[in-house]
Amino acid sequence: MASVAHETRASVGRLMGWRSPNAFAVGALLIAAAALPLIWRNDYVIDVALTALIWMVLNQSWNLQLGIGGIWNFGQLAIFAIGGYVAGLVSLRWGIDPWLALVMGGSAAALVSAVIAIPVLRLRGIYASLLTFSFAEVVRLLVISDESGLTGGSFGLSGIPGLAFEGLAPDAKQRAYYWIALGLVVVTAVFIYVFIHSPLGTALKALRDSPAYAASRGVSPMKMQVITFATSAFIAGVAGAFYAQYYGTISPSVMGLGPLSLFVAMLVVGGLGTFWGPMLGTALIMVVSEALRDLEEARLIVVGLILLLTIVLAPRGLVPLLQQGWARLQQWMAEDDAPEDGPGEDVPENKPTPQQEGSR
Amino acid sequence: MRSFFQAVVSGLVTGSLYALMTVGMTLIYGTLRTLNMALGAMVLVGGYVSWMLFSGLGWGPLAGLVGAAAVTFAFGVVIQQVAVRPLIGKTGVDFEMTAFISTFAVAIVFANVALEIYGARNKAVPPVVEGRLHLIEGVSVSWHQVVMAGVAIVMLVALGIFLSKTRYGLGISAVAQQLDAARLMGIPVQRVYNLTMGVSSALAGIAGVLLASVFFVSPNAGDLPLLKALIVAIFGGLGSVRGTIVAAYIIGLLEAMISLYFGVKWSLPVLFVVIMIVLLIRPTGLFGKPEEARL
Repeated sequence: MASVAHETRASVGRLMGWRSPNAFAVGALLIAAAALPLIWRNDYVIDVALTALIWMVLNQSWNLQLGIGGIWNFGQLAIFAIGGYVAGLVSLRWGIDPWLALVMGGSAAALVSAVIAIPVLRLRGIYASLLTFSFAEVVRLLVISDESGLTGGSFGLSGIPGLAFEGLAPDAKQRAYYWIALGLVVVTAVFIYVFIHSPLGTALKALRDSPAYAASRGVSPMKMQVITFATSAFIAGVAGAFYAQYYGTISPSVMGLGPLSLFVAMLVVGGLGTFWGPMLGTALIMVVSEALRDLEEARLIVVGLILLLTIVLAPRGLVPLLQQGWARLQQWMAEDDAPEDGPGEDVPENKPTPQQEGSR
Repeated sequence: MRSFFQAVVSGLVTGSLYALMTVGMTLIYGTLRTLNMALGAMVLVGGYVSWMLFSGLGWGPLAGLVGAAAVTFAFGVVIQQVAVRPLIGKTGVDFEMTAFISTFAVAIVFANVALEIYGARNKAVPPVVEGRLHLIEGVSVSWHQVVMAGVAIVMLVALGIFLSKTRYGLGISAVAQQLDAARLMGIPVQRVYNLTMGVSSALAGIAGVLLASVFFVSPNAGDLPLLKALIVAIFGGLGSVRGTIVAAYIIGLLEAMISLYFGVKWSLPVLFVVIMIVLLIRPTGLFGKPEEARL
């Protein structure tokens, strides 16, 4: 009986997208990811993979607000850029150690985001997206029109000192960056996993699903929102700082509608509010966008169409879809193995999930 | 003092245009509960249609107005059918969020198709009429701006009459006020949705034609108008058509004043701060109604 209960829970968890990850699969994936730069010794490929890793960190942080928190924040790219600019500026102007600059970039982003969180808290869904979206545009236009020389205007900052790998050969240096980026992805993933399973995460999901009920049970919307904004922004800011340090430059072109569409596509295609969604979506869209390299700017048409198709056909993204398919396959195999058990117990517990799942 | 009057005049002109764009946004939000991010793309389409009519056939911007309105109306209906309609009634997801994202995807596709077809080069469209109108000494306004404001105001008045006097307009208001009751009264809701999307898109398209000769037409010509419309929408609240129009003029005047006293560069940041303050005091904007009462 206990095993049945465990099974039930596991299958519900699986369908909710929060199944405890299969240790072997995750381990194999990690080893493969870590070995990539050693096996495929191609500068360009490693560069693309590294960029994908940075985007994964950013998208995971965004997912924390958009998917898990249900807070309509469309200004995360500005936060990412603020992280990059602050890290670049402190190390360019004051010669601060790049590692410290990484943390400072994250902290500055967290601070700005925590301030934004307060007016956003007062807004209902759509108004929050309006405010955060226009916040991001204002930051972008301010940077572009900046003539004081602080941010370098539309050309951005360049010559940002990288992390201290001065003694290494260029390819070894790139590999070092790659592994740090991979480390950032893993740390972020573990952090988000733990966060979601902590009382804080439960409170956040409760606030998303029913703000009034959550508040009546003692969850403070104000506190939760500021915490979520600050944590999510810290991660995004660190990602931005790392981006600035790896490329040595940061410019307003990381913000704006083009990049925003790319990231929203990654999040939505993968599946908002799921654990694997941001990572899968990032990887998929990066692959698509690299496969269409020759189309240059026109690939955004394809990305836009993919986004449109996904939101119309599978609004919850690919991860829930794949998990459902997998569950159905397993169920079908189980039926085949032991027909005497009957499907009676399995079918009803899988059916109600589309309604149960409250992901927005 | 002269520059003050000049700022007032230009504020009124830009305000009229903002009103034209944002009213469409309010209408769609009122009936369909969708924040239509594709309206910026409609501004773009309007601009390109008027440019094509001008450079291809040599027709002036007035023909552009009619052509753009027709084309954007059709696009609006198509967007409603392709991007919004399939999402209505889907369980397990938030309609407002998915519709926001799908119209955003449409906007991306439009902007990049325009980039692909017409290239990144700016296209120039001549003004409707040349010359300037001198109001009082030192305060003048170009005739084109007069036409801009005039067309915008005429369109807004026509929209008001349409909404309050005609069968279809009343249908839109009814759907916005009470969807179920409207349905029970036999109003064809799908047709109302199509009509709303079409009319709003056409208004944005007209704004695009009017803007085309002030700025140039380029693949991201829709971005700034969209941003301004969003700001007006937050400021006024997506609740009422009248509130939106008032908010558009306030924002237009405010922007002109800020540009006059602090410089153009500061107009957006200061506007943003003003909006933050407004939202802290009134979370649904100046005229927004807290919940269901709309339009």
